[in-house]
Amino acid sequence: MKRLSDPAVKQSLATVLQVLMLSLVWLLASRLSHAYVPEIPAGVLGMFLVLAALALGWLPLAWCKSGARWLLAEMLLFFIPATVAVVQYPQLMGSIGLRIVLVILLSTVLVMTVTSLVVDAGYKFEIMLKRRKRQHGAL
Amino acid sequence: MENLLAFGCLVLTLVLYWLAKKLYRRTGNWWTAPLLAVPLLVIGAVVVGHIPYHTYFQDTHWLSWLLGPATVAFAIPIYEQRQVIRKHALSLSCGVLVAMPVAVMSSVWLARAFGLSELLQKSLAPRSISTPFAMATASSIGAPPDLTAVFVVITGVAGMLLGELMLMLLPLRSRLAKGALLGAAAHGAGTAKANELGAEEGVVASLTMMLGGIATVFAAPLIAWFV
Repeated sequence: MKRLSDPAVKQSLATVLQVLMLSLVWLLASRLSHAYVPEIPAGVLGMFLVLAALALGWLPLAWCKSGARWLLAEMLLFFIPATVAVVQYPQLMGSIGLRIVLVILLSTVLVMTVTSLVVDAGYKFEIMLKRRKRQHGAL
Repeated sequence: MENLLAFGCLVLTLVLYWLAKKLYRRTGNWWTAPLLAVPLLVIGAVVVGHIPYHTYFQDTHWLSWLLGPATVAFAIPIYEQRQVIRKHALSLSCGVLVAMPVAVMSSVWLARAFGLSELLQKSLAPRSISTPFAMATASSIGAPPDLTAVFVVITGVAGMLLGELMLMLLPLRSRLAKGALLGAAAHGAGTAKANELGAEEGVVASLTMMLGGIATVFAAPLIAWFV
């Protein structure tokens, strides 16, 4: 039997508590979103609340870090149930399904190309700006 | 009996996820990637076992519920990477502001060109962002969130397969562009790939993914008007 003082046990206990805390924030955010700002989804509202609390120093990073890391690392598990819903749409089998996959492949190639070329150009511009600033500083 | 079956579905999902994750870590084969293998195996089991979806979802909806807290959890990496955001504010915001309209509009236009229904056009629109953001956007534009989740997963697999090829074909100089390519086009799956390339690529990919997700959620009224 492992003791509570065991560092590994302590760590997992902390993770569980932090996941519970983030879940509470989410519940609070869904109440708030429902009552005041239905345009903003609860998750995003909760994220901004936590971000504000971190930035203002109300919430120490160490109090939520391991819980957040766990939630984000296992996120794939959380959306598997939603993907199984595809069994409710048998009409997606066959030609329509094939067309959907084609749309996704083509659009993905397009997004990859445009985004990376724009970011590369933006990066070169950033470097140029930095260089100009440095030259001004030297003068 | 139905309760037992529902509980069995939850256990099956957890066990398959755990096994696939272990196997993928050991072998690294793309077809053992949990993103691809677990949904396929679970869907296979549900179809073969003639399990109604509401029975499958009865207990597994707790897993779906955790997507909410997971969205909240995005605050922590964003806060931790605030220096990178500040340093590359220009390129990151250009990337996000270009990637999101391209992703949404090309999905909708291509779907329309291929003669897919309006419902499918709507469900495809937010497919390139992280699942919780995509599902939130889907419900605010009137698309079934579960259908969007399926398209998000297909996008992730597509990004995993196409990412390397596109990185070879495109004349990219900066690590920043490589990370943005993966994060903007293939959300979490792309970010995982970017982490294999290097730490900077990984950080930029995850930032592009998160900021893109938030931007798309806020653009939902625009998307609804567009579709």
